This record gives sequence, C-alpha cells and structure tokens, in this order.
Amino acid sequence: MGGLQKKKYESGSATNYVTRNKARKKLQLSLADFRRLCILKGIYPHEPKRKKKVNKGSTAPRTFYLVKDIRFLLHEPIVAKFREYKVFVRKLRKAYGKSEWGGVQRLRENKPVYKLDHIVKERYPTFIDALRDLDDALSMCFLFSTFARTGKCHVQTIQLCRRLSVEWMNYIVMSRSLRKVFLSIKGIYYQAEVLGQTVTWVVPYQFAHNHPTDVDYRVMATFTEFYTTLLGFVNFRLYQTLNLLYPPKLDSKAEVELKAEHEEDYAMDSESYLEKLSALSACLSRVIATVEEEEAEPDRFPVEGEDAEALVVREKEQKEQDSLKNLFEGLKFFLNREVPREPLAFLLRCFGAQVSWEKSLCIGSTYDVNDETITHQVVDRPNVDKKYINRYYIQPQWVFDCVNSRIRLPVEDYFPGVTLPPHLSPFVEHKEGDYVPPEKLRLMSLQRGERPEREQEEIEDEEDDDEGDDSQEDEDGGDDDGEEEEDDDDDMDDEEATDEKNLKLMEKQKSQGKALSVTVTPGKVKQENKMRLEQEEKAEEKRLAIMMMKKKEKYLYDKIVFGKKRKVREANKLAAKRKAHDDACKADKKKKKKKTTGRE
Amino acid sequence: MAAVAAKRIKRVAAGQHGFLSLNHTREQNSSRIGKRKRVNRNKKKNWNKYSDIQDIEDFLDDVRLQERATGGLLSEKPDDSLFFVDTGDQNKVAQEAPVTKRGKSSKPLRVDLILQHDSLVPSPKDILAHQQPNAKKLRRISQRVEKQVAKGLQLRSQKQLQRRKAGGATSSSEKSLPDDDPSRPFYDIWGQEEMLSGDAFYLEQTKKKPVKRPDRLNEKPSSLPAVEIIGPGGSYNPDFFDHQALLLEAHMVEEKKQKEELKLAQQLAVRKEDIATEETIFQEQVEGLVEEDDEEEDEPKGEEEPKGSAPAVGREKKTERQRKREKAQKEREKEKRTQRELVDQRQQLFQLRSIRADLKRREQRTRQKQAQYQAQKEAQKFCPQRLGKLKFQAPDLEVQLSDELSGSLRTLKPEGSILKDRFKSLQKRNIIEPRERAKFIRRNKVKYVEKRAFKAIT
Repeated sequence: MGGLQKKKYESGSATNYVTRNKARKKLQLSLADFRRLCILKGIYPHEPKRKKKVNKGSTAPRTFYLVKDIRFLLHEPIVAKFREYKVFVRKLRKAYGKSEWGGVQRLRENKPVYKLDHIVKERYPTFIDALRDLDDALSMCFLFSTFARTGKCHVQTIQLCRRLSVEWMNYIVMSRSLRKVFLSIKGIYYQAEVLGQTVTWVVPYQFAHNHPTDVDYRVMATFTEFYTTLLGFVNFRLYQTLNLLYPPKLDSKAEVELKAEHEEDYAMDSESYLEKLSALSACLSRVIATVEEEEAEPDRFPVEGEDAEALVVREKEQKEQDSLKNLFEGLKFFLNREVPREPLAFLLRCFGAQVSWEKSLCIGSTYDVNDETITHQVVDRPNVDKKYINRYYIQPQWVFDCVNSRIRLPVEDYFPGVTLPPHLSPFVEHKEGDYVPPEKLRLMSLQRGERPEREQEEIEDEEDDDEGDDSQEDEDGGDDDGEEEEDDDDDMDDEEATDEKNLKLMEKQKSQGKALSVTVTPGKVKQENKMRLEQEEKAEEKRLAIMMMKKKEKYLYDKIVFGKKRKVREANKLAAKRKAHDDACKADKKKKKKKTTGRE
Repeated sequence: MAAVAAKRIKRVAAGQHGFLSLNHTREQNSSRIGKRKRVNRNKKKNWNKYSDIQDIEDFLDDVRLQERATGGLLSEKPDDSLFFVDTGDQNKVAQEAPVTKRGKSSKPLRVDLILQHDSLVPSPKDILAHQQPNAKKLRRISQRVEKQVAKGLQLRSQKQLQRRKAGGATSSSEKSLPDDDPSRPFYDIWGQEEMLSGDAFYLEQTKKKPVKRPDRLNEKPSSLPAVEIIGPGGSYNPDFFDHQALLLEAHMVEEKKQKEELKLAQQLAVRKEDIATEETIFQEQVEGLVEEDDEEEDEPKGEEEPKGSAPAVGREKKTERQRKREKAQKEREKEKRTQRELVDQRQQLFQLRSIRADLKRREQRTRQKQAQYQAQKEAQKFCPQRLGKLKFQAPDLEVQLSDELSGSLRTLKPEGSILKDRFKSLQKRNIIEPRERAKFIRRNKVKYVEKRAFKAIT
C-alpha cells in the first residue's frame, strides 16, 4: 500500500552526524592530525540527542561530529599541508635510514610550514570578537611561558609565549587597564578592562612546576599554537590603538638609563632586550613622541534616551576610574629580593608607581635601596636589618589589597611582622542581605571615605573591639527573627527605637537625678523633616499596596519576604559565629601574652 | 578530393611527352589497366574503395625519387648534366687518383658522409630564424609604454614594485618562517580589506575564495566562563568563614566519593548465606546417593500433569447460537456508545464554560512545560556533555587545610597545577573530549641476549 518501505538510518539524525573515525577517514588524516585540525578550526564534537539512532542502533559511547562541520573542514588549505608534512616525515625517515645527510639537510630546509593567519581572521571576523575570547589565549600563553625549556614542548613555543605575554603586560601597564587581582593558592588571577571588554586571566606562581602526567601535552601545544597567533595579532592592534611601536621598543631615555655595565651577566645579547622589556620598569616608546600629553577634558553629551541622573552616575564612575588609574602615582617603591618581583612590578607600574629592585636580582633596576626618595619598601621577612626612617616598610599584600579596594589602605595593618588581614576575593559580589565579613565592611566604609574609629580603639585597647557594633547587629537579628512584619518598616522601626532610647535615657536621668530641675525652656519650632515625611508617605503607600494585593500575589510576596528574611537570619548567624571566633582568638592571645609575661 | 587531384596530375604527366620515368617496370605495371568493376559512385565509401589511384601514387613517388636523387626532374635536366663524352683517357684517371690520396683532407670522412643529407632536395628555408616571435604584440606594447611615459602616467610594473615596497618584506623570506618562530612578525589582520578582489563567481570556481564559516561554529559549546575563578576561600590568606565554607565543600565531595566506594564494596561483598558451611558441603557430596528424596519428588509430579491438560479441555467450539448472541451483544453495545456520544456532544453546548476553563488550564500547562524545557536547556549549557567513551570527571578541589595555610606570600605553597586546570576547563566546556592516555601495548616478547663483549668477560 505505502510504497517502498523506508530503510532505517538513512535520514534524520543518523545522517546528520558522523563518528570521529569516519570523519578522519573522509579527511584522510591521522587521528593526531585530525584532532589538531579540529582544535585550530574550532570544531567541537557534539553529543547527539538521540544517540541510539545516530549510532545505528548501538549504544556504545562514541565521539560524534556534525557532518556539515566535517564538510566545512574539507575546504581548509591546512589539510593539504598536513598531508605534505606526513610525506615530509616519511622522506626524512628514509633519508636518515640511508644515512643521506645531504638529503636530510635539503629536506629540512624545505620543511612544509603552515600559517594560521587566515584561521584567526575566519574565527574572529572583528577585533572585538578576538578581544572577547582572549581569556583562554592569555592564560595559556602565561602558563607556557613559565615552563622550563626542557623536552616537554618546543623551546621556540615557550619563547614566543614569553614574548607575547611580556608584550601584553606592557600594554596593560601603558594603558593602565588593570582592575582586579586575586592571589589564590592556585595562581594569580588578573582582570583588566581592555577597550570595554573584561579580560580575565590566570598566571601561575613562578615556582617550579610538577608536570602533571594526565594532561595531553600535544593537545595543549596545539591550543597554544593557535592562541599565540591570535594574541600576536591582538597585541599588534592594541599597540596601534595606544600609538605605541610594535614590536615594543623601550623609550630612548629609558634605554640609556637601563644600560647596565655588565649586561652579559644577566642575559645573552639576544635575550637581553626581551628581559629588559619584561622587567617592566621603563616606558615604551610611541610612534610619535608626545610631550607630556595634556588631557583636554572632552565635552560630554548625553546619549539619547539617557536622563541627567544616568549621566551623573556615569561621570562619577569615570572619575572613580581615573582616580584608580593613578592610585600609586608619585610613589616610589623598592622591592626586596624575597618578594615575587614580576607580579608586584606589573601591578605597581599599572597604577603609576615607580619600581626598582636590587641590581643583582634582575635586569632593569633603576635606583638603589639607599635612594632617599623611596616612599615604600615591600618586605616579606619578619625583621629588616637597616631601616630608613622616611619610608614605609610594608608586606606585599598591601599592594594587592589597595588595588582591589581602589584606595590606598592604611599601611599600619601591613607592617612587617604584623598578622595580615585576610586577602579577600574581589570577584565575589555581595548581594543585599548576604553575609559580609567584617573586614569587607571595614573596607567598604574606608572606600566611602569614612575613617572608622576602630583603629584608634584597637591601638588603645584591644579588648573593647567593636563590641558595640556587634551587639547592635545581634539585636537587629533578634528583631528580625521575632517579628513577622514587612522588611521595609525596619528602618522606620530603627528610628523609632532611637527615639525611644532617648526618651528612656531622659527618664533614667530623671529617675537618677535626685531633684528634677524644673525649668522652663523657650519653645523651639519643631522642624519638619521633609525627607522623613516623604519616606513615611512612601512606606504608607507600600503598605496600602500590600493590603490591596490579590491572594495569589500576596502569597508570592510573602514568600519573597520570607526568603529575604531567611538570608538575613543566616547572615546574622554567621556574624555571631564570627564574633565568637574572634573572642576565642582574643582569649587565646591573652593567655599567650600572660604566659610569655609570666615567663619573663 | 585528393583522388581527383591525383588523377589530374596523372593525366598531366601522361600528357607530357618528354617525361622520363626512373622506374620503367613500374610504369608499365601501372599503365596496364584491368577491367573496371562496376560500382555505385553515389556513396563516399565506394569512392575510396574502388577508385584506383595506384598509378598516380607511383608517379608521384617517382617524381619525389627523382628530386631526391638528382635534384630535379630528369626530363627537365639539360643533356650535359646527364651525359658526358667518354674520351677513354685512362692515364689521367690513374694520375688523378694518387693526388686525392695524398691530400687526405680533401676526401670527406665516412662519418661525415653518413651524416650528410642524402637527398638532393634543398631543405626549406627557415623563416622563423629570421623572425622575432610576437613581434607585433611587442611592438604594440612598447608603443603603448612610450605613449604612457609621454603622458606622464605611472607604469603598472612600477606601481607593483612600489606596492611591494610598501607591503614590507618579500614573500620568499616570509614563507620560510615557521609559525612558532619567537621573532615572527605580526601585522594588522583586522585592518586590511580583503586581498582578493574580482569576480565572485571566478574566485569561487577557482577555489580562491575562502568558504564562509557557518555561524553555528561561532557559538561556544558551553556557557561556562573560560577562566573560572576560585572561590574566596581559595585565597592565600583567606577569611576564616570563606575558608571554612571551602573546606566544607571539599569535605562533602570526599564524603560522596567514599559513599560511592562503600556502595560498590557492599554490592561486591559475598553474602553470608553463599559461603559454604560444612553442612552444605556434605549435602553436596551426598547429592544423589540418598534415595528417600526421589520418592517424595515423584508424587507431586503426578498431581501436576492433569492440571496442565485442563485448559485444553475447556476450549470447546462455540455453538451457532452463542455466536449470534455475542454478535448481537456487541452491536448493542456499539449502539449504546454512539448514543452516549451524541448526547454528550449535545450536552457540551451547556458545558462551554468548563470547556473554556479546561482549555485555559491546558494552555497554561503547556506554557509552563515550555518554560521548564527552556530552563532545562539553558542549564544544560553549563554542564559538560558526554562526548566520548569517558565521562567528564571534575578535578579535585584545591584546598589547603588550616595548618597548611602559610599566611605570607613568601612561604606560600601553591596547590594544584594550572596546566591541569586549563586542560580540565577545556574538557568541561565541551571543547575537547575526555580521554585516557593511550596504554602502551608490547606486541612482541622481550628477548634478553647477552652482548658479545659481555660474554667475553664471563
């Protein structure tokens, strides 16, 4: 009746996918080459929705690719290069086997090479696309540049990675676009804002790696091959936007300064320039030498559909950023030899400071320890032998914390030998009602420009440390637990509570005072607080709105409020815990102190 | 046509009374004409087949032979060149011969003689030797160049040169540089316009135009960020609570792993009932030796047999009456059902409201399901897919215990490896499939042989 019977697996998803092996055979490549090609072209395997159908009835797990993707790969000119390379290897092996050294040399000279430029252009049609996808490239390049130059991967790749990462760091320094930095146990996370795009990358610490064995180095090397090409082109473009020379050249003034007497002691001639660049202590030369550019304030026009408030906010943000860019402007740092030089130099230079280090530590130091104009010396050892009176001695964490909090923090907490405050992650964003550690709170208050009295208190006596604050917080928490009213009334309640407190105080005074001094004071005009009135009105409106809610909406609203309250409760719990912990710590300290004094 | 022409020549040759043939016998042969066969001349095939042109060919051959051998037709030669007057002076000949012998140089070498043209027909004059190839074209080009120079225009070749100069290095040196050369140059890849320009169709046909990358490939296979930042507890000098939270997380992961292991161990464990006791071992040994059991087993078997045959008896043939009754019953039921449906349909008019509500409810449900599906799809973009034989296995959390934390940058011991982190991240984002390292399998057995030098000592 129905014509020919339809055959299985001849249409639909079964024809849309191919297994990896079939794809490989179609392209006539070995598995390694196929994998390399896929990585370079950005073709990823797919997990089909209906595996059994695609796998022609079998349920064995396989790697699948889309047929269309493979068909697209067929057009790639690099495929031919891969085949050529295969032939080259065969010929070379043969020549070796026959000990034809002339032939070997000739073959080596004509080794087929391929370029990835067109693939970069194809995968990232615009510059912004490339910038958006830079995280991986940067992380990989920084990682490979720290590798030892042993057989794990090509020495040339490592050198190229080093060159590109140094160029990138120099760009960040010159453009002052670093925003966040986080010292973790894994490595150092950086975040920069480049042409409006946030770029995040991770850099390993400069210690010897233990090479993990379960990582496929060939795959990683292929990724790096592509990413170096990408990063090179991005660097070129970025240098162009800043009007800098590419490949980077040191400023002619700086170059003379950096001319050390015994340069060959630091590095070979071929490498000394790169080393000087990587020292990051000097400026780069521009295409057109500029004389101390004066930034004319550009006129600001409101964007269409943007009201004045938004403009104000934007301006404020802009101002903040400008101040961040010049965070360390005018300061002169000296790095002791025990601190990690590269990250610190990079960071300090990013925010406009001058940096130097000991001459024997690295090439490119610009001044000595005994320079009188040094303002800060970064030290990471418990005691320093020779101290200068006109400079601060600080631990390296100060620099990182300053950058994250966007202000110059008070240096007292970071003196050598002092227990450091915790290094908080700048990548955590606290939502309303979350638990915020007290250190963060303090930071925030500092950012607002308040100088909490806590420090002075601390200096005076450590015991009475912000007990008042905590107890108040506790009270609030208790209130929240008990009452089941709306959240918005809380601030109102607070104000009322303070009023009541005043009244109570008066009463107390009254009761304590033996004789009430009955006097008649001239009446004052009670000033009506406009703001407060407004707020009250708003709160009233809200209450009414809540009353008018439908049952369903009311249910939802209650749920939301409950969720918020629960969060607050949890945060309070954590705060209480913290307090208990702090108290315990203090008690311990006291005991220790007593013990030590007793011994003495 | 050729045949006709040949015939004419033959006729001409025959007409020339003075023509001398070199080969007389052939002349006679060819002149003897046999009886003509009658064939149809209206077919081209027949023209070739049956027209005899042998005589003409012979004649032409003869002409060519004469030209080769004598340098022209014999009939046209003057008599002096053909004949001489034999005076019969033998001494002169004898005298002359030694002279030639003496001057060896005058006699050509045999080699030269072999190499010499044996035909007397002069070789045709080589016109090309005196001609310049493409003279006309070249002349025109040079004229145009002169004109352009006179006008003050720039020549194309000069333009090309200048362009190359502006472009930078020559192509040859660029080609030799491999991609991972540490000093390789870069250029503005996004600033340039497309190098290829010309007819789109031409470029496509000659495979000079790169194939457009499908947009599907520019989508990332996962929504996860490229660099996942470790939580606040992973700081080198963390806040107490953040660190505790991280530790708790790590603890949970470890607990889960242990639970799974325990489960597996429990499943693989041997049950107590399965372990052989002395009793069971004895029973096994005695199995089949004791006869008492057999009798007991036989009895129930006898009971079972009639049970098995019982249903076969019950399946009797239906009578006609029964059949009719059943049919009627069926029909009645069908009637009833249709009636009921009709009534229901009529009633639906009055149920409009509830139907509408039902529809609404159903729509809402589908909408909900759609939203749920969408959300699921979005959530799946954050999960690693199953791309190969192996599932993605999340790496161990990097954790430092409270006593491992150094609190100072100098004494910090980094945890984990960034290389592994990057590798796992690529796997997690579905960019590469998780794989096991290929195991080395030895094909041939290893043979141990003592070296000769070693043997000599021992």
